[in-house]
Amino acid sequence: MKIFPALVTALVATQAQAFTPTRPIEVVVHTGPGGGSDLLARAAVLIIEKEKLAPVRMQVVNKPGGGSTLAAAYLFEKKGDPHTIGFFTGVWLTSPITTAEAKVTLRDLTPIARLVLEPAVIAVKADAPYKTLGDFVAVAKKNPGQLKQSGGSVTSRDNVVRQLLQKSSGARWAFISFPGGGERISALLGGHVNMMVIEPSEAGEHIRAGNMRVLAQVSEKRLAGFPNAPTLKEAGFDVPSVPQVRGVVAPPGIAADNVAYWEDIFRKLTRTASWRKFLEDNQFEDGYQNATELARFYDEFTSQMRGILQEAGVKIVR
Amino acid sequence: MRSRSPDFWSGLALAALGGYIVMQARGWDYATEDGPGPGFFPLWYGLGILACAAFLVFFGKDSPADWRGAGRALATWAVLAACIAALKFVGFAISFAALTFFIVAVMYRRPPGVAALVALGVVAGFYLVFPLALGVALP
Amino acid sequence: MDIAAGLLQGFAVALQPANLLWCFVGVLLGTVVGIMPGLGPPATIAMLLPITALMNPAGAMIMLAGIYYGAKYGGSTTSILLNVPGESASVVTCLDGYAMARKGRAGAALGIAAIASFIAGTVGVLGLMLVAPPLARFALAFSAPEYFALMAFGLSMVVLLAGRSMAKALLAMLVGLWIAGIGTDLFTSTSRFTFGRMELLSGIDFVVVAIGIFAIGEVLANLEAREEPQLLPVPKGLRNLLPTMQDLRDCRFAFAQGSVIGFLVGVLPGAGSTIASFISYGVEKAFSRRREEFGSGVIEGVAAPEGANNSETGGALVPLLTLGIPGSGTTAILLAALVLWGFRPGPLFIAENPNLFWGLVASMYIGNVMLLILNLPLVPLFAQVLRTPVYVLYPLILGVSIVGIYASSGSLFDLMLLSGFGLFGYLMRKLDYPSAPLILGLVLGGAMERALRQSLMMSEGSLTILVSRPISAVMLSFALLILLVPLFSRFNSWRLRALEQKD
Repeated sequence: MKIFPALVTALVATQAQAFTPTRPIEVVVHTGPGGGSDLLARAAVLIIEKEKLAPVRMQVVNKPGGGSTLAAAYLFEKKGDPHTIGFFTGVWLTSPITTAEAKVTLRDLTPIARLVLEPAVIAVKADAPYKTLGDFVAVAKKNPGQLKQSGGSVTSRDNVVRQLLQKSSGARWAFISFPGGGERISALLGGHVNMMVIEPSEAGEHIRAGNMRVLAQVSEKRLAGFPNAPTLKEAGFDVPSVPQVRGVVAPPGIAADNVAYWEDIFRKLTRTASWRKFLEDNQFEDGYQNATELARFYDEFTSQMRGILQEAGVKIVR
Repeated sequence: MRSRSPDFWSGLALAALGGYIVMQARGWDYATEDGPGPGFFPLWYGLGILACAAFLVFFGKDSPADWRGAGRALATWAVLAACIAALKFVGFAISFAALTFFIVAVMYRRPPGVAALVALGVVAGFYLVFPLALGVALP
Repeated sequence: MDIAAGLLQGFAVALQPANLLWCFVGVLLGTVVGIMPGLGPPATIAMLLPITALMNPAGAMIMLAGIYYGAKYGGSTTSILLNVPGESASVVTCLDGYAMARKGRAGAALGIAAIASFIAGTVGVLGLMLVAPPLARFALAFSAPEYFALMAFGLSMVVLLAGRSMAKALLAMLVGLWIAGIGTDLFTSTSRFTFGRMELLSGIDFVVVAIGIFAIGEVLANLEAREEPQLLPVPKGLRNLLPTMQDLRDCRFAFAQGSVIGFLVGVLPGAGSTIASFISYGVEKAFSRRREEFGSGVIEGVAAPEGANNSETGGALVPLLTLGIPGSGTTAILLAALVLWGFRPGPLFIAENPNLFWGLVASMYIGNVMLLILNLPLVPLFAQVLRTPVYVLYPLILGVSIVGIYASSGSLFDLMLLSGFGLFGYLMRKLDYPSAPLILGLVLGGAMERALRQSLMMSEGSLTILVSRPISAVMLSFALLILLVPLFSRFNSWRLRALEQKD
């Protein structure tokens, strides 16, 4: 009967009516208040409310612990809940690779959107003898293991950049982990290490005061704040870009129209002027990708990371 | 045989802990090319625990501990642990009231009326101060 | 801008009625938060961040700073009265403070804590004002080897905290080191001792352990007695309600070294007020004529750590304001707050924002005075807390501990850990194991391991880096000296006994 498919389509069409939230939304972040993810989420929520993109309030909920594992597990348990979303960062993608207890991967959740890419710069103390990244690498090559870089954990982007550079140039230098950004910067300024990879927002003031100098930037295109620093490719190092990403994710098992709703909100968010200003102020790059693109990015990124970390000597568990 | 003093037993227990730590430490890298690995420190303090514990086992004091009141303390602890485990299911008010009631009535043998009053008063106090005045969530 | 002019301008800012109000709100809130075990300044400041976005930055900064150092005043109250550390740095105050309360001198202990905090807090602000930039540069010379030496120095204090059995003290310290090591190894991302539980991946929060062992352990231990209507003797008479002139005289050295040590330790990024209080306590004990009495209620044992943890706040603001480098958890959030308000903390911050900096400095003087005025008269009032019948007090302690921990971490797993450590603390008491070394090991263990590995990475495996650098060599020798102190005193008593026998 011809009416049947028509009825079905009509039914489906009414079901696929835009989902609208009816309760306040929980926005889960894996850092404590004041941490990177927390600040990003709060800024996003502020802009969404200002631009009236959502009819209900959004509340940032902090679920710190175990890096990202507790927050990810929390989201996983909220299966099917349309009123919860989370903000993820690179650590959500890498910890399942290296940590057995981190059982929830981004694929176990529902990817929504990728929002920003965080570029970084390679900085040295202002009075260091290296004028370009090439100089540094050349010295490192002649004296393997003697130059030192300060950074975060061995799975952090700082070390990833180091691994990629080492692989492509054949040079070797030491990596010293410091748990806090403050300590990493002191190590560099105090002359205890020779180089570090640092976010432009963190480095800004020290560069302005003349204590630090930038050799190169880790990004695809030159950032507005650093017109004179070459990108890695321009400096002669053809390494794949492994960006530090932040985006939005939702619990598993939610309806298709729910996903579409979130996608829509965040797409609109990235088009507002306030968001652009936010990106500019914090020196982020717009890295918007929708849900399907994000899922594909996730697969590429994790297989890339697996390779890099394995070469770095980190134990891979997944 | 030498008397089983608390030093002896605790020394034994800690020696077991030390042994466990050392065993785990050997499963990790002692030294990597970049410096001491995750097994380095644990190995050393595990060995330290073993050594001190052994010292205690052999040379510890013999004086027995006073276990008279222990039953009361342990019972209270059991109730505390149970209440915390119950927090997920019945919430703060009920489990904490239960704990308070237990302490007042059982431990201090005050009449149940007083116990109930104290329990209710304390819980009400918590609710007044924390969620209302300070905006802090209760379990 | 020279200091006098800056200060005058600062007072002009700080004495504005609105800012005075914010200062008062901040220190009051800080004191309350400090009293609550489990809830600390980092969490409180973070919770208030959204509100501060709507305030004027000077007032907001004044208030947040007030919370920061106000909490150090409040933390000593519960430490002294109930053996419950209100703030992680107040753990050391529990040692002699609670002992004093047991002897009926709670009032004096509370009073001296407030006075020491005031003196040290003021010294801290003075330091911030006068020596901040050169000191910050000095702090840059500190890196992993120096930190390791500092931690080793701190750990050598265990010798001074030992009490009767050195073996038990060492065991407690080593267990503390072990607990500190639970979690994810920073350098290799290996999980250590996590028993497969993801909640343990970032380790066990210090506060959970401290409150479990001290507060809950204490309550359980006291529950053994059947009838004990009142917790502790209520201080009678003015002599015991406030410190006497003799007390103040005894604490002269403590006031001085507590302030200085606290400030210096605070300047180092990564070293916190707990380390400052331990070191100050240890130094006080090492130089005291009555060092054997420490732990049984010696008033300098309260004055030194309390002073240190207050001047540490002044010190911690130095790297934050002169270099834009946060030195501790709380200053990291303050950094985020400054960024939120549109400032750019860094080496040029003071030069570009003199009003904010000097206004803050001036407000800290005012805040310290406010706190002294707030706390001293309240001492007799607080002492009356001891009148509460125990069967109300103990549930209250348990409840406040539970709520405090839950408020700052939101984790039921942490509460289970809390009860576990409570049992552990009780057992430690029964079996006569000292708990201070465990806390010492816990606080210093993680940092010390990191510092050692970082140092060895810097030197490519050579241990000589620890002694080839002047600062770390000096501190390691201090550590060695401290380790030799008991040997000296034993040697001394042999010598004296030998002399006596000769006559």
